Amino acid sequence: MNPAVPEIPGDSPLKAAQAPAEQAAVTPAVAPWPNPLAHLQIPFRAVDYEVKGYHLEVTVAPGEVVAVATQLDKEGLALDTITGVDWMAEGQMEVVYDYFHLAKPLRVVVRTRIPRDKPEIDTISGVFPGANWHERETHDFFGIKFLGHPDLTPFLLPEDATYHPLRKDFVA
Amino acid sequence: MTEKADFLTGDVAAGQPPRETFVLNLGPQHPATHGVLRVKMTMDGEYIVRAEPVCGYIHRMQEKMGENRTYAQFLPNTSRIDYLSAMTYTHAFVGAVERAAKIPVPPRAEYIRVITSELNRISSHLVWWGAFLLDLGGFTPLLYAFDDREKILDLLEAITGARLTYCYYRFGGLCNDVDDSFIKGTREFVAHMRPRLKMYRGLVTENIIFRKRLEGIGPISQEMCRKYGATGPVIRGSGVSYDVRRVEPYSAYPEFDFEIPTFPGGDSMARYLVRMEEMVQSLRIIEQALDKLPAGPVMADKVPRVLKLPAGDYCYAVEAARGRFAVRIVSDNKEIPYRVKLRTPSLSNLSLFEEASKGMLLPDALALMGSLDLVIPDIDR
Amino acid sequence: MEAPEDNSQLLKDCSPYVKFAKLDELLALGRANSLWPLTFGLACCAIEMMAAGASRFDLARFGAEVFRPSPRQADVMIVAGTVNKKMAAAIKTLYDQMPEPKWVIAMGNCAISGGPFVFPGQYAVIEGVDKLFPVDVFIPGCPPRPEALIEGLLKLEEKLTGKRRWPVVKPE
Ligand code: SF4
Repeated sequence: MNPAVPEIPGDSPLKAAQAPAEQAAVTPAVAPWPNPLAHLQIPFRAVDYEVKGYHLEVTVAPGEVVAVATQLDKEGLALDTITGVDWMAEGQMEVVYDYFHLAKPLRVVVRTRIPRDKPEIDTISGVFPGANWHERETHDFFGIKFLGHPDLTPFLLPEDATYHPLRKDFVA
Repeated sequence: MTEKADFLTGDVAAGQPPRETFVLNLGPQHPATHGVLRVKMTMDGEYIVRAEPVCGYIHRMQEKMGENRTYAQFLPNTSRIDYLSAMTYTHAFVGAVERAAKIPVPPRAEYIRVITSELNRISSHLVWWGAFLLDLGGFTPLLYAFDDREKILDLLEAITGARLTYCYYRFGGLCNDVDDSFIKGTREFVAHMRPRLKMYRGLVTENIIFRKRLEGIGPISQEMCRKYGATGPVIRGSGVSYDVRRVEPYSAYPEFDFEIPTFPGGDSMARYLVRMEEMVQSLRIIEQALDKLPAGPVMADKVPRVLKLPAGDYCYAVEAARGRFAVRIVSDNKEIPYRVKLRTPSLSNLSLFEEASKGMLLPDALALMGSLDLVIPDIDR
Repeated sequence: MEAPEDNSQLLKDCSPYVKFAKLDELLALGRANSLWPLTFGLACCAIEMMAAGASRFDLARFGAEVFRPSPRQADVMIVAGTVNKKMAAAIKTLYDQMPEPKWVIAMGNCAISGGPFVFPGQYAVIEGVDKLFPVDVFIPGCPPRPEALIEGLLKLEEKLTGKRRWPVVKPE
């Protein structure tokens, strides 16, 4: 350990130790704006932020989620969350991936639908390690199998749980 | 003492537990885990080979309940997810519904929301401060912290009627206007809190034992934060000035002048300093909001009694005390949501613990865990 | 055998200084005045339990401030928060590990009945800790105020000694 612990100078440690100011450069989130991800080969739709709360959305085939995640990762986006929606009437499960940008007001929603009777999709935990827990949780709640996931044991449910409570046909 | 054991991390990276290891079970009832988190630790002596958090010991079906109750009935639930910053959590849910139903919120209500949210943020950080120092072995700071926190609770109790699990925000505004005694009391509190924060600095922040316990401990890089989706003081302690109040401004926040405290260190000390500085900034916001507080109603008129949102999904994100909290409501045009997803900051913040704690000493790992500021029901929901 | 000496006068003389009681009552008095709760925070209610122990409410006034992290050193368990099925086994073990005599306070609606988390089809919470072990005092509230917790401890004292040590404060 360094024996000379540096002083925290001044009255407010913020003034002295702050990282170079890059805060002011944020543009407000107005609805029609140039799509910052237009150069990617992903067919994003612009959404009215004031109503929906996100900027871009895209529906992709189940096989493409990993490729999309890789591209968004390169763009410097972070994974917000992964979740499922059970569309029982249509016999489908929707998997929703939320991403956000760390410096720009930019929220991206990636959706895909898989058949309800064979809910399987590739894991993106190889791209975003943070996806690990979100996918485990989605597996708990909906029984969606994430292929290639390192550990799909119950996360929030008891260790021996075999039920998937957020499926619409679940009865306790 | 603080360096990582190199001989160990090398082997761990190769996927081989080196030498003889044993499993240490921490929790689910353990004073250092702040609730019912369980961590399964594979140890080599005092060094951690693998620390795997096991969650779910306080899973309370919040998302299932969202599909069982009307919007108004679910609202009190949101304040019980992260009970320490209940205001911001109700704000996110209320905001999502207002956004979808296109309910305009009067400016006075937005200002009061900002004031109460920031008061709540300070009280949350105070609990963290006391509890964190308790983890590190100092009992007295807790008493100071709760002393100041009670002052905030008095103010909030007078207008909301609750001490902890507020349900003050309603769809379209607030359930109750503030009175002059609240405004006066809040001004007095701001004046009282500034010197107290200076005193905390002298009392704890500059204490050499405390600093040696935190500096360089539990480094988290910017890249790790991004990959795991960590937000709040964790990412700001790694030098990224990400704050939902700035990046996706909501409510009345664009009208105030405040800084986003960032510290580049990435260690536990940086996260500590971020939170201490955030309290100063919150006081600034409160003061400005009190100065500019507009007159007028605090509730939009003609909010329908029974809310039905148009089909589709709606998101709303806020900066809670622990980071980005986002609500997603999927509606199918009924009185009851089709799906409610709650994206909580503590889950993402904890998910990096396994990687960050590799090769650390056990007591250092507990300092790291404390500096993440976990609320367990926020992880398990 | 000699007739027993008449010591009634002696007893009368020293009665201002010496009290006679059954051993049980003495022990109960000692226990009631130094309850050692188990540090056991589960959820929101635990924060109010902390508040009760901290500056303003100062549980030390009633001798119950020694929160013990180990069940083997505690004699009252304050169940402050929601107990779910995954946790139930652990909490039962904790109860079993506490030495006799032991008491349980169920603090908050969750511990009493499952509180706000009970609905048809619920799959996780235990609807009241009295399903797991006997409970002595129930403190309603969501969360109960620290004053209510203190009142609950006084009720427990009353249960132990048969007497109330402190006056009841009537609301004005
Ligand atoms: S009773 Fe209410 S405050 Fe207490 S743990 Fe349950 S939900 Fe939280």
